[in-house]
Amino acid sequence: MNTHDHFRELIEAYAIGSLDATERAELEAHLAAGCADCVKALEEARWLVSQLAYLAPNAQPSDMLKGRLLQTVRAEAAAVGQIQQERVRPSGIPWWLWAGVAALLIFSVYSAWNEQQLRSAVANLQQQAEAQRAERQKLDQELLAAKTQAHEAMIWSDPKSKKIMLQPKDPKMPQLEAMWHPELGLCVRGWKVPNPGEKRMLQLWLISKKSGKPMPSMTFWPDSKGTFSAMVENPPDTMSDTQALAITEEPMGGSPQPTSAPMWVGGVS
Amino acid sequence: MFLAIFSPKGNDEVSPDATLMQQLLRKDVSAFEQLYERHSRIVYSLVLRILRQGTTAEEVVQDVFLQLWRNSARYDLSRPFVPWLLTLARNRALDHLRLKSERQRRREEQTEEFPQIATAAPEYEKALDEKRRAERVRSLMGSLPAAQKKAIELAYFEGLSHSEIAASLHEPLGTVKSWIRNGLLRLKEGLQAAS
Repeated sequence: MNTHDHFRELIEAYAIGSLDATERAELEAHLAAGCADCVKALEEARWLVSQLAYLAPNAQPSDMLKGRLLQTVRAEAAAVGQIQQERVRPSGIPWWLWAGVAALLIFSVYSAWNEQQLRSAVANLQQQAEAQRAERQKLDQELLAAKTQAHEAMIWSDPKSKKIMLQPKDPKMPQLEAMWHPELGLCVRGWKVPNPGEKRMLQLWLISKKSGKPMPSMTFWPDSKGTFSAMVENPPDTMSDTQALAITEEPMGGSPQPTSAPMWVGGVS
Repeated sequence: MFLAIFSPKGNDEVSPDATLMQQLLRKDVSAFEQLYERHSRIVYSLVLRILRQGTTAEEVVQDVFLQLWRNSARYDLSRPFVPWLLTLARNRALDHLRLKSERQRRREEQTEEFPQIATAAPEYEKALDEKRRAERVRSLMGSLPAAQKKAIELAYFEGLSHSEIAASLHEPLGTVKSWIRNGLLRLKEGLQAAS
């Protein structure tokens, strides 16, 4: 038996679907190669196989099946028909004009809605921008405070810094301390310092070696617990030109000249 | 017995089913209803034989006819309609029977969703109307030895392969192959002779 005859004998089994995988693949390859005889034989074999359906016992589907089918089919046909009718519906006004008016109306409504949406969006964005600015400002302040604390810490800890004790005129008042770094600046701090009172604050003065005159520096006031810590990055004079530090009580905002006697004094050199 | 009576036609005549399928292209509900009336019984009988469950069989039949309605454009009007419809129905029923099994995979490899399976009616088909042909098929298959008939039924109604049939019947593979081929050839000769 030649190869073609072998494949021809497989046609009926292929038509009924009973070929095992290997033979099926081989036959399909043969059919795909264009064997006209086998292709024709297969078409007839398929018809023959379809006749086996008549071996099935006669049975009648329910009326409900027909009802369901027709309901579905009619609905789909109606949907298709409605689309077709709308396309050919007679009217004095062309359909495209109606479409244009409808489009214009829709566009107008949409534009008004869109404008409102845009206004809301802009307002939201402005609020967000404001919130972000506030947040950034807060972060900047926090960063500045952190930098300041770090700077103060360096002044207090650096070996180049000179410690200056400020003695109170009133023995009941606490001692204050200052640390002066030649490059980084001057820090002053104290504990249990009484509050200067309403609209009053404390002010630091640098007493010049040459002139003996007090040079105004930073102002500060203690917190509710009497604690304060103040820093001057660029004191008005150098440490070597300053003979003493003094602190007085001054009006809010400070004074160009001392308006009261020093409450604390400390020699620098 | 069958509502659908297939009238022999001349070469130039268009079959009633082909005409109805053409009308289906225009979503003609009446044409669909006629096709259903003509063929729902044989389709349901076949599907029920395969699935052995009425509710499921009706679901598959509904699916088959809806496919017909929605994809009528994909049917080749030059081909015989009933064999094609029965092939579609059988494939759907076997798919439903096996779902995710290996046989389902194999069947999916063999057939398309909407089978473009060419069937060619032999000349002798025109000499017998459907009713007479159905009777002849039953008679011929009934005359086969029981085991041979069983082998063909297992192949057709359950989609078993040669190997699976051989295992089921405890017969050699070669015997099963011969039974199926010779049984179908005998059917073919019988239908030819009846015409």
